Amino acid sequence: MRHFIDPQVVSRLSGLTLDARMPMVGNVSGRHRSLTRGSSLEFSEYRKYVPGDDIRRLDWRAWGRSDRFYVKEFEADTNLRLCLVVDVSGSMGYGPEGQQHDDSTKLDFARYLCGTLAYLAAGQGDAVGLSCAGAGTQLEIPPRRSAAHLKHILDEIAGMKAQGETELSETLHAVAGKNSQRALVVIVSDLFTDTDELRSAFQHLRFRRHDVAVFHLLEKNELDFEFDRPIRFVDLEGSLPLLVDPTMMASQYRDTVQSWLKEITQIVRNSLVDYHRVSIEEHYADVLARFLLARTKQACQKFNTEKT
Amino acid sequence: MTFLQPFFLVGLPLIGLPILIHLVNRNRHRTVHWAATMFLIRAKRLARGMARLRYLLILLSRMLAIAGLIFAVSRPMAGGWLGLTVGGAPETTLVLLDRSVSMEAHDPNTRHSKRETALKKLSELVGHAGRNTQLMLLDSVSSNSRRVEVPGDLLDLPQTNSSDTATDIPALLQQAAEYIVTNETGRTDIWICSDLRKSDWNPNDGRWEGVRQQLERREGIRCFLLGYSEEAKDNLSVSVSGVHRRTTSEGAELLMDIRVNRTTDSGQPVNVPLSLVIDGARSTLNISVSGTEFVRNGHAIPIDRESKSGWGRIELPDDTNLADNLYRFVYAESPVQKTVVVSDDAGSGEYLRLAAGTSSDRSRLADAQILTSGQAETIDWNQTALLIWHAPLPSGRMARQIEKFVSAGRCVMFFPPDVPTSDVLFGCRWTNWRAHEIPVKIGRWRPEADLLASTRSGAPLPLGELKFHRHCEIQSEQTSVLGSLDGGDSLLLRALSDQGAVYFFSSRPGTRDSNLIDNGVVFYVMIQRALARGTAALTNAWHLECGDLAALSVIDWQPMDDLSSDVLVSARSFQAGLYADRDVRYALNRPLSEDSPETVSIEVVDSLFRGLDFTRLNDVAGSSVSLASELWRMFLLIMIMALVAESLLSLPGRRSKTSSAAPGMLDAAAAVRSDAAAVRSSL
Repeated sequence: MRHFIDPQVVSRLSGLTLDARMPMVGNVSGRHRSLTRGSSLEFSEYRKYVPGDDIRRLDWRAWGRSDRFYVKEFEADTNLRLCLVVDVSGSMGYGPEGQQHDDSTKLDFARYLCGTLAYLAAGQGDAVGLSCAGAGTQLEIPPRRSAAHLKHILDEIAGMKAQGETELSETLHAVAGKNSQRALVVIVSDLFTDTDELRSAFQHLRFRRHDVAVFHLLEKNELDFEFDRPIRFVDLEGSLPLLVDPTMMASQYRDTVQSWLKEITQIVRNSLVDYHRVSIEEHYADVLARFLLARTKQACQKFNTEKT
Repeated sequence: MTFLQPFFLVGLPLIGLPILIHLVNRNRHRTVHWAATMFLIRAKRLARGMARLRYLLILLSRMLAIAGLIFAVSRPMAGGWLGLTVGGAPETTLVLLDRSVSMEAHDPNTRHSKRETALKKLSELVGHAGRNTQLMLLDSVSSNSRRVEVPGDLLDLPQTNSSDTATDIPALLQQAAEYIVTNETGRTDIWICSDLRKSDWNPNDGRWEGVRQQLERREGIRCFLLGYSEEAKDNLSVSVSGVHRRTTSEGAELLMDIRVNRTTDSGQPVNVPLSLVIDGARSTLNISVSGTEFVRNGHAIPIDRESKSGWGRIELPDDTNLADNLYRFVYAESPVQKTVVVSDDAGSGEYLRLAAGTSSDRSRLADAQILTSGQAETIDWNQTALLIWHAPLPSGRMARQIEKFVSAGRCVMFFPPDVPTSDVLFGCRWTNWRAHEIPVKIGRWRPEADLLASTRSGAPLPLGELKFHRHCEIQSEQTSVLGSLDGGDSLLLRALSDQGAVYFFSSRPGTRDSNLIDNGVVFYVMIQRALARGTAALTNAWHLECGDLAALSVIDWQPMDDLSSDVLVSARSFQAGLYADRDVRYALNRPLSEDSPETVSIEVVDSLFRGLDFTRLNDVAGSSVSLASELWRMFLLIMIMALVAESLLSLPGRRSKTSSAAPGMLDAAAAVRSDAAAVRSSL
């Protein structure tokens, strides 16, 4: 077991399932609704017989009652393709009070989130893939179901390093382009990138009918900017350092952040992205529990709605 | 600006402390590895304007607070009017003190007179604000300037005590200007302490222009007027005139004109008990003063037949000015007012004889005779009070005799002869007659003193009605012009003389030359005043004005009453008193011009000092508002205000809820999720 996969957390979350918000297209049987009709116990609909249909699926009772041939169809269950997209740009190396160690950076948080999610998804038979978004980091592992594949992914997650500028938008476009089948794309990032490009990337993913979920990782100080003395800010993504007196520009900073958050909110609303703004001071287990519960709840609501 | 604790000013560089701390703070910065640099860059761009200004204001407020504190503990001094002492203490401070009688008006509550109040304030001001200044005193009585070592001495010096004199402010300023020029005093403050009495200021005096020009030329001269123009409330002043002894069938009596002036007219008559002290015997006369003036002419007081000469005084009860509540007089047997008219023109001579021989006071004997110039040798010089010379100017022995006559205190009036000669007497010479097709009038005259002075009630003589068909031009040296015609030629001159008086009148009373006879008031008053002046030298009872004793020696005088005994010999010339010197008795009183409450207006005062660095401060007797007050309260207030401003500017801006911490973040995310779910389910 890796250090970022806590057995207690896994045990706590094992009762919850990772559900997709829409029918998936898998290659094996699973626990997720499929776009195609299958042989599960869940009745779907009656359909008129057409030559070529398997006569074993004819409903003889309906023929007896109506003298017409009907084929009885059932829902198909398939597996889920989980694509984890992790931002590994320099900005993800930021932790509380500017710390870059002690296992408390945003990337560490992402490591916990992705590792646990991958483990849970693999546990319920889903395929798991991984893409890292960072300058010079061209890691793309397509979703697969095998245990060896999971091990490979966990190795990669363990070896992730925050460096360089972000290339989140490019990575998302790549994920959208390469995954022709529906997938659950989980993005873990601080979204410190150009918002127009981000909007375009989300829309691309939606166009490809992917179920997109975003864990937006932020640190409290990045929002509140509570500094009282002049500080030399060294950019984690390599820009020139800035000597700033926070008392002179704190309010302008907060205003800028607020307007940026509003813009992000607008983008995810329009793109129907499952958006989770997360403070890295929280425990990742709580974040994951909220995420999984919300999805389960949505799936139940959807089922009830369709049934009625 | 001056400071009582100037060594605290050493701390002034501490004003730069906030800047220093700011710079040190900038250099003591810590390094933080930061992710959200994109927001920092945007915020920094936004913060360039108002935020930078705000920070500068905060720095400024902090510096102001420190400056306020340092200045407050340094105890700065300034005048009641801020900025009085701005510019630093002058090298010399000249105090021009009006010691006239009217300056003794006091505040009924504090009993401090205007003079005392002014001195107290000035001593405080110079004591606090001008530690390194040389303080010089020029008072209106003595003609010397005096250095005052310690400002507090101003209150105790004999030169600042009260006097019974009038003040000649132009002369005082002239003296100050001369002192400044002679001593090269550098930056000088001139403080004039006066009550702005018109009689003291003489705003029409020609000397003002000279003084102004003299001071204008100097740099660093500042003039301050500490003015006490407020009238003393319900003040009464008393005076007597025309005191003379008369023998009656029942014995003898003293005749006198009593005048009581009141500064304000309340509309109600005031009953005043007048105390009359004659040769030590006191009696009371109750009078009722209605309006602003009470006059009783020819008031008779019976005296002993054997009392040929004596003294007396008239007293008022205490009021707001004690210095004008007492008037002294002496009496003796009245001499005959004898006038000799020397004229070769019988017509004009007769007019002159009539004017001189008709006394304005019936109780006095007047005698006037006409002599031709050839008969002038027969004049009884000892008995003659007034000589009217209406003939060519004498020369030789007669001229010397007239000079001797004048030096004995008598009076001479010269009228022009038909044919002027080249002889010169008293520095004057008749030149040519000048005829005027259109009669000329008097252009200017001096209404404040001498023969053309206004009446005691202040009414001017009807000089405007006079017309002159011709006049004789006068060539003169060292004379003062009492009146001049339109066009500038002199009409009446007074020649310089130590004793007595010498007048030159440039026209004649005949109808050919003027209408002096038709409008005889001016002519008669002029002759009678000259006669009164000459007669004064004949009598043994002299009524003199303080400060105008000329060459009289006061050392041998013996005081006649207990009040005069208290006066120092050195102060006799300017303190009222009753004295005797052998057979002659002297009554010294304040000048009656001091009873006139008329003051010069602010506009006039400003015009007198136009072109100079002049500041006028109005004050009242007994005021306790200091000219020099400490400003530390103001600086403390500035410090507090600066601190309040600093704290207000440093207040953090209002924070929106979504800007902080995780709960808010979650709310926002939850809202997004629910929106997305709603949209999704609707699909």
